[in-house]
Amino acid sequence: MKPENPILAGLALVAGLLFLSPVLYSIWMSFQTVDAYYAGELGFTLDNYARAVGQYNFARYLLNSLIVSGLVTLIGITFATMAAYAFARYSFRGGNFLFAATVATLMIPSHISLIPNYLTLAKVGLLDSYAGLILPAISNGFAAFFLRQYIRGIPKVLDEAAYMDGATSLQVLWRIIVPLSRPAIASMALYIFITEWNNYIWPLVAVGKQDLYTLQIGLARLYRINPGEGLIDWPLVMAASTITILPVLLGFLLVERHLVRGITMGAVK
Amino acid sequence: MMTMLRKLTPYLFVAPLMIFIALFTYIPILASINLSFREWNFLTPDMPFVGFRNYEQLLASRDLWNSLWVTTLFAVLSVPLRLGLALLIANYLVRESMHVRLLRGALFLPSVTSTVSIAVVFSWVFSTDYGMVNALLGTFGLGKVQWLQNPHLALWVLIFVNTWKQIGYDIVIYIAGLQAIPRELYDAAAVDGGKRLHVFRRITMPLVMPTTYFLLVISVIEAFQVFTIVNVMTKGGPAGATDMLVNLLYEIGFVLFDIGRGSALAVLLFILLVGLAILKSRIIGRKVHYEA
Repeated sequence: MKPENPILAGLALVAGLLFLSPVLYSIWMSFQTVDAYYAGELGFTLDNYARAVGQYNFARYLLNSLIVSGLVTLIGITFATMAAYAFARYSFRGGNFLFAATVATLMIPSHISLIPNYLTLAKVGLLDSYAGLILPAISNGFAAFFLRQYIRGIPKVLDEAAYMDGATSLQVLWRIIVPLSRPAIASMALYIFITEWNNYIWPLVAVGKQDLYTLQIGLARLYRINPGEGLIDWPLVMAASTITILPVLLGFLLVERHLVRGITMGAVK
Repeated sequence: MMTMLRKLTPYLFVAPLMIFIALFTYIPILASINLSFREWNFLTPDMPFVGFRNYEQLLASRDLWNSLWVTTLFAVLSVPLRLGLALLIANYLVRESMHVRLLRGALFLPSVTSTVSIAVVFSWVFSTDYGMVNALLGTFGLGKVQWLQNPHLALWVLIFVNTWKQIGYDIVIYIAGLQAIPRELYDAAAVDGGKRLHVFRRITMPLVMPTTYFLLVISVIEAFQVFTIVNVMTKGGPAGATDMLVNLLYEIGFVLFDIGRGSALAVLLFILLVGLAILKSRIIGRKVHYEA
């Protein structure tokens, strides 16, 4: 690593801040009172957050988002890992076909299933429920494909040694494959979580009951119910927006390197 | 018994994933095709078969051609902008140092951030009376611009927002691609006294071609499915200027509840995207092979 050039470093910092300035400014705005904001004065208040959480139900939306994204991630990564393991380690009748069908989902525009999925879930009475939000998002072809490639890189002798010791295939998966694929599984879990957290069109059509809104829907509605430009309560909207961004932002700061590595591992091989 | 079980093992492992893929991806494709030949609005008890009528109505409507045009314009304008800028920036950010890492993080951040939040924040940034952009223009003595209400500008605003959000992802992928280029090539070019631009065009660009191809495929597919920023920022307006295909699909299917016509549009979108993907792998796939 070359020594740091302070001028370049300063410029880079300024460029980064400038790039993020809309979001940074929106966070700052969320601490202003409406009156101060429209009068162009400086102030500080937590009132917008209190209103977003209390009056506008954002605590509930946050909980809903956590439940939905959490369960989608947990179930999705489990199913993807199991399938990836079978695709990587077993040759079985129809296996290639099923793997191709899994990979092909990457090319299929998800919107073609929008109307049929809506009708299916309406028929079984699962619209307006957590299950209705979660079920269509569970299968993740990309994660399965990615993990299969990763597992293939793990030496097979490890499996064989375990089988010699009398392990079952489930034990091999749980004791050998999963621990050795931890970085890949972690980055895929993160990828699923972020994708689901930011999912918009499905909860938009699948949920009408306000108590089941995710943060994305709650925020879009809050912004849209504001009567018209000029009258918008921007500080309140920005507080809600900050609540929506924050969990992923914090996660990002904690695991940025894993995330970037996961994403690039998927793309460049 | 044991051998039976052993034979079944892989099927048991793939079953949960395959069941969900079948239920929520493949069967819906067939269902969409079926529904596209029917007339239904959720309320009537039966859904009569109407042949190609939904397709005929769609293809005869101005909305569809407008959406196709707007979406194509969006893709054609935004994808080269994203990839070009991303490659230039990645070419600078490929080195290792603290400030480069910070800048990379800052650029990457929006791509994992909530699209709705970003759309809301940029609705403010481009709002006429209190927005950041007009305030900035004001300090230079320039008048207020109605960014999102002007049919000639709204699409550009969406292109800007989409680029702002996605470029960090492109950059990260490009950096990985650039890191895979052998250093010796650059060293050899330096010995030969290669000019920077020349090195960029003769070495960097051809050798990141596989990465460019990958990004091209996914960003075109993405561009044709843009919905969230449209739904939050413009609702397809003003006067249809940003009425992209998925927005039209949403309007027909879930605002007008015209299931048949909505499904026909979904099928057309499906054919279009799969066709594009095949076409690209035919044309560019060969080229990548030659140069890499």
